[in-house]
Amino acid sequence: MLPGPLALIAELTHRCPLHCVYCSNPLEMQKAAAELSTQDWARVFQEAGKLGALHAHFTGGEPLARADLTELVAGARGAGLYINLITSGLGLSEKRLAALVEAGLEHIQLSFQGSREELADEIAGTKSHAYKLQLAAMIRRFKLAFTVNMVVHRQNLDDLEEIIAMVERLAPDRLEIANVQYYGWALQNREALLPTREQLERSQATVSAAEKRLSGRMRIDYVAPDYYARYPKACMGGWGRRLMLIDPAGQVLPCHAAGVIPGMTFDNVREQSLEWIWRESAAFQKFRGEDWMPEPCRSCDRRGEDFGGCRCQALLLTGDAAATDPVCSLAPRHDLVEQIVARVNSSEAVPLIPAAASGWIYRPNPR
Amino acid sequence: MLPETTSQPRLAAGCRWAEAIGAERMLLFPEGAIRLQGTGREILERCDGVRTVQQIVEELQTLYSAGDPAQIQAEVVGFLEKLQQKRIVDF
Repeated sequence: MLPGPLALIAELTHRCPLHCVYCSNPLEMQKAAAELSTQDWARVFQEAGKLGALHAHFTGGEPLARADLTELVAGARGAGLYINLITSGLGLSEKRLAALVEAGLEHIQLSFQGSREELADEIAGTKSHAYKLQLAAMIRRFKLAFTVNMVVHRQNLDDLEEIIAMVERLAPDRLEIANVQYYGWALQNREALLPTREQLERSQATVSAAEKRLSGRMRIDYVAPDYYARYPKACMGGWGRRLMLIDPAGQVLPCHAAGVIPGMTFDNVREQSLEWIWRESAAFQKFRGEDWMPEPCRSCDRRGEDFGGCRCQALLLTGDAAATDPVCSLAPRHDLVEQIVARVNSSEAVPLIPAAASGWIYRPNPR
Repeated sequence: MLPETTSQPRLAAGCRWAEAIGAERMLLFPEGAIRLQGTGREILERCDGVRTVQQIVEELQTLYSAGDPAQIQAEVVGFLEKLQQKRIVDF
């Protein structure tokens, strides 16, 4: 029998005080009026717990924009789930964090946009960096796991040593340095965000040295950009294998970006049980297993490791969601990625610091 | 970092046990979980912030009295070092 999902990604709202130029939310966002109620979520968490899910990752938009976040945490914890909050920190006060921890919050991931305030605020489209720095000290006073999420790209990758030194002073348990991946809003801004090969190689050396130096004090996870990888990532741990994402309006998706794939329809927790959606729905079965795979995936030794890579990336780059992920060096359309990478590494690439935000396409708030 | 014999290991903040199912028990932590049974479970269940590393070693040596005591000591210390690097255990 098909095992249940390991974790639930609860995209509680698409509302957000930040407007990051690489936001992974879909271009078509869910409106506040369409959001699930507190009771809907509580039922979904119960269903997820019964299906065998272990973790609930609360994300958005900005989860703190939900006034009922404390109740949602309590509901998920009551269903036996491990509660992780992924946040920009805007809207968090000491009092509110105390209530969240009391309700069962166990891990907080605070995002940063770099170490230089001016650039960080430009990337976020909101003045937020200074406030985040203050929050980190406050978070450490609570008994919960603390991760700093640092999103890196062409504009801030050269600051990496300074960034790591800044985070070290905030003393989290873990630092996740994630290169931007190119979906949603990030794809709109790709020319200014994709790093050069030289930047990337330097960053890898910087991370290796920091990992050694900080071992036992702060764990560092480093995620390289797909476009420079030799083989694709096992996106979401394989389609419909490990994760379910519930969007603010209750649609259940196999991944954040699946809405871009033409012809896909997503069932809603308002109408169907989570178990039925996981086991039976067309969306979850679409790319589950190996039957959909084209060559070279179908006969590839790595198909059980990377599951053919990312379906959304295949769609966005080749126009065909069932193609081999073109970031794979074995993909028939790997040339598409090679062209983009060649352009970024040529002298025609956009300058390192774009003139005062003029070129950015910011993520707006849902209307 | 190796634990001292006098240090008192405990689960790090944000790590907790799920209910046991038979011999197996799941430890939940940020971004992951491990199923533990046997020695691993015996060691971690003793990481209560009260017992010292020396006490945990001795209790494991008693529990596995057929085993080589020196090897058990090395196993306990190595396991705790590894879990501290993963930020699952503090000492």
